[in-house]
Amino acid sequence: MNLIKFEDFSFKYDQAQDFVLKDIKLNIESGKFILLCGITGSGKTSLVRAMNGLIPQFYHGEIKGDVFVKGKNTKNVPTSTLSRDVGLVFQNPENQLIAMNVEREIAFGPENIGIPWDEMDSRIKECIKITDIEHLRKKAPFEISGGEQQRVAIASILALQPEIIIFDEPTSLLDPKSAIQILNLLKKILLEKKISTIIVIEHRLDIVLPLADEVILIDKGRIIEHGEAHYVINGEKFLNSGVNIPKCVSVFQKLMNQNIFTGKLPISIEETKNLINSIK
Amino acid sequence: MEAFKFIQMKTIIHSLDPRTKLLLAIIYSILAIIFEEIFILFFVFLSLFPFILAGQLFKKWIKSIRGMTFLFLLLIIFNTLFSTFSKSISMILRIMIMVSSFSLFFLTVHPDDLMLSLLSLKVPYNIAFSFSLSFRFVPTIAIEAQNIIDAQKSRGYEMEQGGLISQAKNLIPLLIPLIVCSMKRAFHIAEALDSRAFGSTKNRTYYYSISYTKKDWLITVILIIFFIFGIIVKIFPDLLPNWFYWRFPV
Amino acid sequence: MEKKLENLQILVNHLTYHYPDGTIALKGINLNIYSGEIVGIMGKNGAGKSTLIKTFNGLLKPTTGTVYIENDEVNNVLMSKLTRKVGIVFQNPDLQLFANTVEDEIKFSLKNLNFSKTELENQIYLTLEKFKLKKFQNRTPFTLSGGEKKRLAIASIMCRNPEIIVFDEPTIGQDAEGVEFIKNLIKEKHAEGKTIIIVTHDIEFAIDNIPRTILMADGLIVADGPTNKILSQDQILNIGSLISPQLIKLSKFLIDLKLKVPEDVYIKENMVQFLGSYFKDKMGITEGGKP
Repeated sequence: MNLIKFEDFSFKYDQAQDFVLKDIKLNIESGKFILLCGITGSGKTSLVRAMNGLIPQFYHGEIKGDVFVKGKNTKNVPTSTLSRDVGLVFQNPENQLIAMNVEREIAFGPENIGIPWDEMDSRIKECIKITDIEHLRKKAPFEISGGEQQRVAIASILALQPEIIIFDEPTSLLDPKSAIQILNLLKKILLEKKISTIIVIEHRLDIVLPLADEVILIDKGRIIEHGEAHYVINGEKFLNSGVNIPKCVSVFQKLMNQNIFTGKLPISIEETKNLINSIK
Repeated sequence: MEAFKFIQMKTIIHSLDPRTKLLLAIIYSILAIIFEEIFILFFVFLSLFPFILAGQLFKKWIKSIRGMTFLFLLLIIFNTLFSTFSKSISMILRIMIMVSSFSLFFLTVHPDDLMLSLLSLKVPYNIAFSFSLSFRFVPTIAIEAQNIIDAQKSRGYEMEQGGLISQAKNLIPLLIPLIVCSMKRAFHIAEALDSRAFGSTKNRTYYYSISYTKKDWLITVILIIFFIFGIIVKIFPDLLPNWFYWRFPV
Repeated sequence: MEKKLENLQILVNHLTYHYPDGTIALKGINLNIYSGEIVGIMGKNGAGKSTLIKTFNGLLKPTTGTVYIENDEVNNVLMSKLTRKVGIVFQNPDLQLFANTVEDEIKFSLKNLNFSKTELENQIYLTLEKFKLKKFQNRTPFTLSGGEKKRLAIASIMCRNPEIIVFDEPTIGQDAEGVEFIKNLIKEKHAEGKTIIIVTHDIEFAIDNIPRTILMADGLIVADGPTNKILSQDQILNIGSLISPQLIKLSKFLIDLKLKVPEDVYIKENMVQFLGSYFKDKMGITEGGKP
């Protein structure tokens, strides 16, 4: 099923000179872990803003084409309503935690849409359990670590039970282990079907690629490649896009250029190991 | 700022409904404003102590009073110069009463409950919410301000130098980044709020609620009697013995 | 340069630091950094990394213990002298950009360095050229892109020509081009003989560009050694909440296969060469062709 559909969508911010999104045609289906990548300024953040209506409702500008979220045109439905379908988690948890303790933080979304107390309570309990933050329940946002803050932010979006959650660089401020833990948590949430589709903007391709089902590559406001992860990684466009290519990919790419290796480039250490094993 | 920073504790004062504590702060402030007699103010001030002690707030309270020593000194100097020494003492007592009663409030009311109590006073949700939001971001912005000072100092910026005008000019390298960062932050927060269904329905529900208990009613009644007594004394000053109206000869 | 006593540039002895609110951020740091070294500082948030670097340029004064920058004990010299020697590039450029134009921004950094007018103009010109900011000279810094702002923030420290350069998380949120820029800058400054300290979580960047790494945890230095050694020991990785870089993982795997792996195979070029000859060997490929 199409959860989000872009129909030749273009957007230019007020006062900007150029279109930041150009002729976007895109279908986001359910059941996918999707990686959105592209270099700085390629339009990643604008693309996700268009997915929950922040563009054009919060950020005004010139629009061509349409975006539909579960059949609703984002031009006509406010972001606060779309947020029941699309959750957005931002890079810096510091700016999205608005309550003085974790429990209240998670309650905020359900409160806003008028969920009755009993259901709210059970949702809060469930979200706390999935994200494993029981011990933080009464803590204030500034008493907990960055990784913990990001878990709270995830829980607080989950409490709205959206079908799609989008993460805009959720791990860039975290240490490597916390970053992996957060990304694995996302995969777990997806597999347990607490959520139908996850879209992640992430610079650390080395740790996110092994989790991704699909990759969307964006450059200068256009989607230049979209498909199954291996397919995109093996394409010229990806290798020349200027994103941080994981080392195991670039090692095998070099080998390929030297005609020593043919086949699919490995997207994870596990795949690399299998590849070496298969040659033995 | 320390004097107004909420810390979770379990005392009888912390467990009171925020509205009771707000009433206390308001009644004490009114009394502080309408009286200028040193002894009366002093007794009003003394009557705050049971609350401060019951809330285990003595140390924090001392800190907040100590923080104002400079202000008090200025008050004494200017008031004595332009008016009388007695006036300056009553001014100090007034400020002490107001600061103490409000810090009692802020130190024992969870900022999120603050919002609930404003709501119960029929303050619109948006206003009440932005009020509690500003509390939430005080520590964040304080850290950011420190980071800005550090960043500029690392470029050779020197803070303490020159007269008043050059000092004001000297603040520009700190103020502009602070404003820019705060505006960016405000945008991010607004985005985050929209993304969490903020304002999507008028029929908002609440996970927490505040409620008046027997303790609250008891203290409310005492406060009101105290207040009425104060008003009566103000109208009929003869009710109190004369020595209440003693003042310094200067 | 050799690790000789006369080349010792930063000497930290039993350093502790307590914040006014009572937090103990450093609990007894001992550290030697020699002239011309590139040193990484890693560790969880809150381990004390930022606190430590702030004692180098006088932003924080040691609670107990001593920090020597060259021959100066930080408690005995003016901060203006320290910031001239030690330049810290902070992560977020928004924290410092404020001037009307890009040129003024550089000028501000040079203000208290007692340059003559021609020297000043010359230095501004050179800096703008070097950091490819010339075309923005008269533009306000606020309309620059994220990457350009970052370059300007770096330029505003580099123009002061510090002997010791400290980068705080230089690669966060940077794409390949941004990382390449930082990498080249570090190479260049290293060639000029500068001492470089990099606080980072970026293991892939560290393994390629930082020979020596210090790991901090809970206010102490818990490991100090070659980056590839630090990033390959499980126990150390756990303490620092770190993971091994991909090619270290891969080289461990190759060792487990009982292959004769050269020690520096965690470097990309060496890995390509090693796997290249391994594959050729196994599959009987001749030079430049398929089987």
